[in-house]
Amino acid sequence: MTTQLGSWRDAPDAALLLAYAQGDMDAARVLTARVLPRVLAQATRMLSDRAEAEDVSQDALMRLWKIAPDWRQDEAQVTTWLYRVTANLCTDRLRKRRNVPLDEIAEPADPQRSAPGQLQDKARFSALSDALAQMPERQAQAVSLRHLEGLSNPEIADVMNISLRSVESLTARGKRALTGILQGRKAELGYDDD
Amino acid sequence: MTKSDSDMIDALFAQARTQSPAVSDDLMVRVLADAADMLVHPVVAPKPALWPTFMELIGGWPSVGGLAMAGVAGIWVGVAPPASVTTWAADLIGSPVSIDLLSDTSDYFAEGLLDG
Repeated sequence: MTTQLGSWRDAPDAALLLAYAQGDMDAARVLTARVLPRVLAQATRMLSDRAEAEDVSQDALMRLWKIAPDWRQDEAQVTTWLYRVTANLCTDRLRKRRNVPLDEIAEPADPQRSAPGQLQDKARFSALSDALAQMPERQAQAVSLRHLEGLSNPEIADVMNISLRSVESLTARGKRALTGILQGRKAELGYDDD
Repeated sequence: MTKSDSDMIDALFAQARTQSPAVSDDLMVRVLADAADMLVHPVVAPKPALWPTFMELIGGWPSVGGLAMAGVAGIWVGVAPPASVTTWAADLIGSPVSIDLLSDTSDYFAEGLLDG
């Protein structure tokens, strides 16, 4: 088993996915270990909620397993596809928050996060996520892919299947919108002291 | 957007990018269980049935009713054409004219055949 896993270690993502579709669970294990941390990180940064991010990650991978038999290697990279699916799933979750007043969003109980600095971080990440929820969805996706995932504009264009010009427009307008939403909370989020 | 606001957003982005949570064993188990389950029970898209596809193509039952009415009306017009239809057809294409191309030679051929 170890030998089999080792043989897959350097294989491209698409090759692993196709091997999985042929019934090779070792390929699925290697692919999961490779992509799941990135999917979870993307979902966490957008949602700022560990449980929701895990659900989204599981859902994104489930969709990958479903599409595996029909995967065409020349169409898209697995990572690009996962960025797209994860962003869409997160946007769905953020949309549901729109109807909930900010005051009613419960802070998840976490006894380990008791230090003031950690609470401050948590408040900032939640504020960012809630601000993304209030933005137009395409802008929120473009901004998160650019500024949270660090993707280049051509990469974002691939993920969102739009032109470079649209990416530039969406990220610029999105960042302005985000700033507008958050500027009133500067003191609350502790940025006056920084 | 003032520089101060822009700096705040950039600082927030930079801080948010540092979030890289470790994948829990539980999540890994759930994801791999899904993968194994999908191999055993693959989701197969149902093949579209012919009749519903046809019905959808023509627009459903209301269209079937219309087609049936049109068919019956067509048969009726063919069997017992109203006078107005005959008149209209005559105006359009003229009165039917029969031309017997073999009228002069038919007797000749008939005789030839009979005489052997």
